Amino acid sequence: MILDRLIPARVAGIDSLGPTLKRFRFEPESGRFPTAAPGAHILVTLRGPERVWKNAYSLVTPPDQRDGYAIIVRRVRDSRGGSHFLHDHLRPGDRVEIGPPASLFPIASLARRHILIGGGIGLTPFLSYVPVLRARGAAFELHQYCTDEETGIFRELLAEAGAGVTVHGETSRRSFTEVLTDQPLGTHVYTCGPAGMMEAVEAAARDLGWPEAAIHKESFGGAEGGRPFRVTLARSGRTLDVPETQSLLEALETAGIEAPCLCRGGACGVCLTGVVDGEIEHRDHVLTEEERAGGRLMATCVSRARSDVLVLDL
Amino acid sequence: MIDQGIKSRPTYEALRRDPTGRRHLYLCAGEGPAPDALSDGPLESWTVAPAAAEGTLRRPQGEGERRFRSSRQLLDTLGRRLAGERMGLRLYAEGPEDFLWDVFGIAQDHGLGRSEVFLKQSGTLARRVQCVHCKTFNEGVTTTIVRCAGCGANLFVRDHFSRRLSAFQGVKIDAEQPGDVPQAERAYP
Amino acid sequence: MGIEFRRDERFRESFSYRNSDAGVLRFPFPFGEDRYMYSVNIEPHTRGGPSPAFAHAFDVDEHYVAECRERALVLADDPGRCQVLPHMMPAQWDTLELLMESLSADYPEHFSLTKDGDAWRWINRPLGLDQSFVFGRPETLPCPPFEYITRQAQGDFTLQDQRDDNLFVDGGMVTTQADWSLDFDIGMSFHEWHGPVPLAHDIGVFDRALRFLLRLQYGQPVRRLNWTMTINPRLDTSPENYPDWGPDRTTVTPENVADKVHLRVELQTLFRLPRSNAILFGIRCYLLSVRDIERVEKWRKRLHRVLTTLPPELAEYKGLTRYRDTLIAHLAAGDDGAALSPGIQPDQTALAARS
Repeated sequence: MILDRLIPARVAGIDSLGPTLKRFRFEPESGRFPTAAPGAHILVTLRGPERVWKNAYSLVTPPDQRDGYAIIVRRVRDSRGGSHFLHDHLRPGDRVEIGPPASLFPIASLARRHILIGGGIGLTPFLSYVPVLRARGAAFELHQYCTDEETGIFRELLAEAGAGVTVHGETSRRSFTEVLTDQPLGTHVYTCGPAGMMEAVEAAARDLGWPEAAIHKESFGGAEGGRPFRVTLARSGRTLDVPETQSLLEALETAGIEAPCLCRGGACGVCLTGVVDGEIEHRDHVLTEEERAGGRLMATCVSRARSDVLVLDL
Repeated sequence: MIDQGIKSRPTYEALRRDPTGRRHLYLCAGEGPAPDALSDGPLESWTVAPAAAEGTLRRPQGEGERRFRSSRQLLDTLGRRLAGERMGLRLYAEGPEDFLWDVFGIAQDHGLGRSEVFLKQSGTLARRVQCVHCKTFNEGVTTTIVRCAGCGANLFVRDHFSRRLSAFQGVKIDAEQPGDVPQAERAYP
Repeated sequence: MGIEFRRDERFRESFSYRNSDAGVLRFPFPFGEDRYMYSVNIEPHTRGGPSPAFAHAFDVDEHYVAECRERALVLADDPGRCQVLPHMMPAQWDTLELLMESLSADYPEHFSLTKDGDAWRWINRPLGLDQSFVFGRPETLPCPPFEYITRQAQGDFTLQDQRDDNLFVDGGMVTTQADWSLDFDIGMSFHEWHGPVPLAHDIGVFDRALRFLLRLQYGQPVRRLNWTMTINPRLDTSPENYPDWGPDRTTVTPENVADKVHLRVELQTLFRLPRSNAILFGIRCYLLSVRDIERVEKWRKRLHRVLTTLPPELAEYKGLTRYRDTLIAHLAAGDDGAALSPGIQPDQTALAARS
């Protein structure tokens, strides 16, 4: 399968799941969507009246469902990432463009048992894992951690997931250590949710002697703002300002500069761009220590500047 | 040893205790004991009695120590032991190369990954060599060229090593000009 | 329209394999410059480019039927040429889906795929196959899905599992290989199975290639060309059968060099697979005799220059040492030293008659 352009699609339906949660269903304008990996995410291009958003969302549909994709989005307060646009403005029938589904959060092929730990909306990649694990006859447990108010919503989403699923509200929840204790050799843990929760899962697993290779964290969506800085593009001579609420990639896009990208979370390496001058604050998961120290390459989607000015090879 | 420049041949480092593990099991194809760098804390130690001492050794007294009559017996016991093990175990193995990768294979079959098993070659450097033409395993090869016990071909022992087969690859040395077989040299004592 | 298949070719005994004139001109000649050295020469596998062999996800040409038959002969002798480790079943189905969807979309006159949910029907007209099966249910196919579909494709395939920041060759269909053994290498990590390749390790080629491939994205396959030489148009140059084809290397003479020696090019393609997150590695083999290469002026001169400057370690690894001088002497007369255009394209659209 060679997918060299965005896939035109329409909003097929929008389901309200709770006060801040909606499921958006998309259907292709023609043909069928590509087979998506379990745990895959898609880059959705949303064209608002004033600006364009390109956001990555986990698919909640299983790989073999190719007549429609679905995502679940929480409306974030002070949204700058487009969740308010999805929630407040997108209507059934609207057109969107979808990038090829990418997977940076695959199921480990040699794992003999899988523990899935979701936090809040971080459940989404596991909604596509579950039917796959079930079809493969794999041993797994799913633990969803959320607020007491949302236990009902997540229980309903997981109604068809079957045995081995536990939704933990705030009261009387099991600790990560309890969940991970006494698991047989070859168990892998996967976690997706708020950064603090994922770190706690990782710490609990490490403390029990789990090797790094058995701990998997969904790493996209980590782009956060920071100190503003100025960027000069060495080839075109243009200069732009990156404000504290915007990523470098977003600033490039806003300025109409064709900048490659995929995961928008510092995990895939597609956006790596040459740096001619300036000091980089690396926030990606791709570059080696050597490359970081070299200071000549940066991931525009998450990394920022330590110096006031960066000169890019663009 | 002649370096053929082939990078699939494993290199081995001295065994050190992996501080991220919670339980540690040392396996030795010989008498042991475990190196000091492993013994900085609780350690189970499985060793094999030398054949020359058959029937004369008493059972080990230390906690977590076991002695087996043969490495075969040790490997069989390891499989049963790992079937009931939990996450957090680290395995350390010391012995000839074929023993090491037999341990690794059993470990992998039971869910342990590459980062949970540590290997150190000791004792004989003799090689297990698989004939790529007839697939026969030739054990204990110490020379650069060996006559295959299966098909009779004169095999050059390539440094290409399969961890899965725990064996080096043997390729007919005179395939292009039959009969043109150089003198074998003793290289893997 | 459609491809006219040369159904009676053989890649053994009579060696009746030939390329048509169009077949010669579509050959993916691997040398874009007058000197050759290993590099990470990976580019996006987009449709099109300097060779028609790049026009489709999987290239099918006039040798399709004959190559599938040759594969069946090799497998009948040695079933171990197709092996897949048990954890790779999702990758097997991914491969079947990718090949069936690509072939039926790119060559609708020869292949068709229809689906009703999980009930699929596959028609392969050149091989006369009509198979209904249930996707995801191996027992509904005559053999496991990876073997089933790669028996119907040209070139070798391996499956790379991605874990521990590495790639492991955990399956393959390998019957047209340049002297490597799947049976021995299966399960190896990226650096282990490339272990025997000289020089490239030291200049970091495999470190960089691995880092790149770990990030390979679904829907954005990549390709590269690799090459060696083979005496006679023989596809199965496996280490298993080295005693059978090794002696051929001593049979090259100034008289027969142009007909015996074939440039063997591998169009290597790498596809990220969805369900398994594995990588499918296609190694599509093309053979062209020196006599046919000489009919393309640019290729004739460039091949001469590449062979003249090839590092001896590479010549040895590729098994050229015994006949390299004979070949260079033969090609020298056809190279006037004039500058050649960069790139691999033939720079001509018709061929002189065979000399």
